[in-house]
Formats: sequence, structure tokens, C-alpha cells
Amino acid sequence: MAQLTLNQLSKHFGKVVAVDAIDLHVHDSELLCILGPSGCGKSTALRLIAGFEEPTSGAIRIDDADVTHLPANKRPTAMVFQKYTLWPHMTVYDNIAFGLKLRGLSKDEIKRKVEEGLELVSLSGYEKRYPSQLSGGQQQRIALARALVLEPKILLLDEPFSSLDALLRVRLREELKRIQRRLQITTIFVTHDQEEALSLADRIAVMNAGQIEQLADSSTIYAFPQTLFVADFIGEMNLFDAHVTGTGIQVGQTLLPAPDGLPADGAVKVAVRPEDLRPLGEGEQAAMTWTPTIETVMDLGHYQKVLAHAEAVGDLKVYLPKALRVDEGSTLSVTPTRYLVYADGAPPAEVKLTEQQGITQG
Amino acid sequence: MTTIREDLTDRTLWAEFARNSGRAFRFMLRQDWFGLSMLALLTLFILGPMLNVFVWAFTATRIRPPAILPEEWGLRWWIATFERLDVIEGFTTSIVISLIVTGLAAVICLPAAYAFARMQFRGRTVFLLSFLMTNAFPRFGLYITIAVIFFRLGLVGTVAGVVLIQLVNTLLFMVWIPTAAFQGVDKALEEAALDVGASRLRVFIQITLPMVLPALSAALLLTFIGTFYETQGAFLIGVPNVKTLPTVMITLINHPITQHGAVLSVALWVPSMILLIFSQRVLRGGSLAAGFGV
Repeated sequence: MAQLTLNQLSKHFGKVVAVDAIDLHVHDSELLCILGPSGCGKSTALRLIAGFEEPTSGAIRIDDADVTHLPANKRPTAMVFQKYTLWPHMTVYDNIAFGLKLRGLSKDEIKRKVEEGLELVSLSGYEKRYPSQLSGGQQQRIALARALVLEPKILLLDEPFSSLDALLRVRLREELKRIQRRLQITTIFVTHDQEEALSLADRIAVMNAGQIEQLADSSTIYAFPQTLFVADFIGEMNLFDAHVTGTGIQVGQTLLPAPDGLPADGAVKVAVRPEDLRPLGEGEQAAMTWTPTIETVMDLGHYQKVLAHAEAVGDLKVYLPKALRVDEGSTLSVTPTRYLVYADGAPPAEVKLTEQQGITQG
Repeated sequence: MTTIREDLTDRTLWAEFARNSGRAFRFMLRQDWFGLSMLALLTLFILGPMLNVFVWAFTATRIRPPAILPEEWGLRWWIATFERLDVIEGFTTSIVISLIVTGLAAVICLPAAYAFARMQFRGRTVFLLSFLMTNAFPRFGLYITIAVIFFRLGLVGTVAGVVLIQLVNTLLFMVWIPTAAFQGVDKALEEAALDVGASRLRVFIQITLPMVLPALSAALLLTFIGTFYETQGAFLIGVPNVKTLPTVMITLINHPITQHGAVLSVALWVPSMILLIFSQRVLRGGSLAAGFGV
């Protein structure tokens, strides 16, 4: 039960600005994901919060206490690292008990807490094992138990599952979410895996080049990416170079309806999610129709992803239901049902096209 | 192969195979003879003298020249050798000096090794490589120039002088092996300990140290052995007052009674062998090589 506030937090390494004046408020018992490509500063931000790096400027507050200059061993945070960091010369029991012993707890109390911790990560009975006898997934679960038994105010996770195989990663992700919900512990989870972030997080902070580009819940981030970077980074997106004309937005050879409030003239970007390209039925007509040639069809289980090329706009990604049979080399007619328009320096404008070609704007 | 493949029937293929393999076998045999003779030569060259020393050490009486083995075996000369005052003194001196040198080397080199492994500072690599310098020059020439300086400083013939000259030899092992060992400890392991609330000192003692202990003990062992057996420096700087066991042995080699030298040689050889085998087990996995990879 704790809150974390970052206030204009910056970290420079020589001339490199790793974290650039970020503001962030993490609520009580919230699970917040910091998502971004490698080198965006997300890990550095987490290490600043943990106390492994001294910030260049700015402040870190946990509840009402300023912890900016507190060393790592005095902070009420606990971290699970990307690498396996169980101490190899200690048993699982000693690994988990290490921090508890430092807190001067009685032997019985330590024993009880270690057992509780192991039970929490479903590894009861592993006390006497050494880290080398555990699989990667088990090691990371022990590392999680080691952090949790200390009852930290803030739990920090730095891509803890990134070195595990895909199936295990998903299972541990679910397990983490369950534990987090049960303990109601304020958690910050750093990852470069958008699927991980979208499925885990209450809110996602998308970072790029040391700054937070957008902070919102999963569905908002997906539906309304605030910047072009977020639009491109989260999920799949068809991005087109376009320019505004008097009558609409010119994308290649196609004229799309423009939202209100755009400058009368200038370059913009149009972003269309693959699922917002609706395939047209036999003989069906639409005002805006692209008829690309299908280049690749990928069967992704519950849907198929089609890579296609249209003379009018260029490359297209389309998601199609499995029921619709398409062949590589044939053509497909699609019409955009929803898109976002990014003008320079302004938040995106949404355009929704209804069946009757009426335009609604958001 | 000049024949066109398609023209080859099975029969000709087999014939070719047999011809080729025969040639290969004869070649191997020729090579093997060469290898075998080299092996025999080396065995004779290395094991021969050692066997001879062993035989001499356990000879009770003496060996009459045409015979290779003694008339009577026994430990008579062992008792005689270890009753010699110079041997007893040399042994004590060697132990004391080796302990002092190993202790001093640990105090000087281990913090240096930690710094090399954990800190980035200007000239770090050059500084680290400079420890190879003592091995880059002919050792004896180095000793003589040092001896000249020591003579002026009045260090020749003193324990302090011998300790100093032997410290030079220990630097490489005592810096490089521990540096590699400390580098082998993932920083994240230390951070994890810091994270659960341990102080830096506790992290070092309870996390870092246990993980480098095997390599550290190997380095200490090698230093101790190296110092114990070091002859040139101890001889040059120690004379005439400080006589370590190897120095004593040099005088015994020219002694009319061969057995003294032989006994001492075997006595010195066995423990070093045991210690070296032990340290080799600890140093598996190329921890020295890891030091070069900085």
C-alpha cells in the first residue's frame, strides 16, 4: 500500500540522456508497466527508483518520504532482475531468508515467512535446493519470493521473464498478476514486450528516448496512441504519408475524409489498424476502396494476417477472419472504417466511417 | 582426382578407396613412429633424472657404477639430511619468508584486484598489463639490477630484502587471478543483496567473497609455493646471512655426499606436486585466461 511519485527525474550518463525529466505518479496497489524499445531509458528509470543509480536531477517520493538520495539498501523497494540473481552459494531458504535476517527477525518468524513466500510462488518444499538445481522459471519465482517476503512498499521488476521461453513467460505473467492482485502491492514492471504490458498492466507508460510518450490504460493506448511513436510501437499499424488538401486527405491516389481542426494544408500521417480495414463482400461497393494484391497470408490461429500491396497506397496489413478464404496472388477489396490522423505536434484526430459513408469525428 | 566420377564403377571406387586408405595408414604409421620416438625421448629426458633422484634418495648404502639400483634401500639419508642444522634453518627461514610474502601480497594485491575488476579508471588496462612486465624481462638480469640498488640500501643479506624481491614474483598471480575472479561475479548479484538491505561491507563479505574464494585460495597457494621454491632472487639477495631451503640445496648439490641433495629434492618435490594438483582443480575453466580478456 504505497504510492510512488517521480518529479522531473533525469539521469545523464556523460552526454547521453538516459532519462529525460519524467513525471510519473503510481497509485496505491497499481501495476504499472513501463514499456519501450531497448535503450529507451526504462531500465535506467527503474534503477533510479531502486537506488542503484543516482539521479542527475529531479526527485523520487514514496508515500510522503523523499527517497531521492537514499541508498538502495535503505529504500522500501524490492527488485526482481532480468538476470538470474539468486546467490549460487546459498540454498533457496538462505536466499529468501537473507534479507529477513538483516531485519533482525526471530528464527521462527523467518522460517514462517520463507515458507509463506515459497507457497506464494508455488515452490513449497524447495528450501534445501541450490539455484543451480532450479530451472530458469523456478529461479525467477524464487527471486520474486525473495523480494516479496520483505513486504516492500514498491515491487520493481526489470524484464524478469525475458530470458524464459514463450509458454513459461505467459504462465509466469499470469501468476505474477494473481499474486499482485492478492497482495495489493504497488508494482512497476519494465518490459519491451508490448503483449506482456497490454495483458499485465493497469496502466502503461510508453517510453521513448528517455521520455514518457503516453501514460494510459491498455485499451486507450491501443485505440488512441497519442504520438506516432506509440502508434507504430504498440500493436500493428498501417502508416501512410499523406497531405491535407481542400477537399480531404490525399493518401496516395485516394482521397480520405478529413477530421475537423486540421490545418488547411500540410503533411500528415494516417494510421489505420489492420482490423480497421474491412473486407468488402462480393459486389459490395464503398466510397474508399483499396484493392491490393495479396502477397503473404499468415495463419495466426484464430485469425489470419494478410500482407498485401495496393497501387493506390502501398503496402497494407489486414487482419481477416479465418472463414474468409484468400489466396496469395489474388486481390482483395478493403475499405477503411476507422483511422487516426497525426498532424505535426498535435494529438491525433479520429475518423470513423460508417456503412453509409457518413463521417463521425472524435 | 583426375578421373571423371561418372566413369567409376563400384569396383574401381573400392580399389581407389583401398589404395587411398593404405597410403593413409602407412603415413599414420610413419607419423606414429616419429611421435613414439619423441615420447620415448622426452620420457627419458624428464622422468629419467627424477627417477634417478628418487633412487638416490632411498639408497641406504651406495650404488656401484655398473649397477643402476642400490645394494640396499632405506631412509638412512633422510634422517641424516634433516638432522643437518643448515637444512633445519633453511626450512624455517623459507616457511617464515613465504608466509610473510604471501600475507603482504594478499594485503597489497587483493584490494588492487577488486579495484581492477569493479572500477573504471584511467589507464586501467595499461596498469593491469604492467604486471606482466616482471615476466617480460629475463628474471636474472632484473634481479641483478635490483640487487645493486638493494646493496646501496643495505637490504642485501636481510630478510626484508628477500621478502621484497620475492614480492615482485607474486604480483602477476595475486593480481590477475583475483581480478578475473572478481570480474566473474555478476554485479547484479551484488545489487540484489544491496536491494534486500545489506550494507556494502556485508555484500562483500557474504556475497562476493564466498564466490571468489576458490580462485583466491588458489592464488594464495600458488604464491606460497612460488615463494617457497624461488631460488634466484633469494640466493642473490639473501647471501650470506639469509638462506632459504632452495639456497641450501644449491650448496648441497656440490656436496660430496649425493644423497643429501637427492633427499631434499624429493622432499621438496612431493608437497609442491600435491598443492599444484589441488590448485589446478580450483583454477579450472580458464580463470587466468579470463584475466587476459579485460
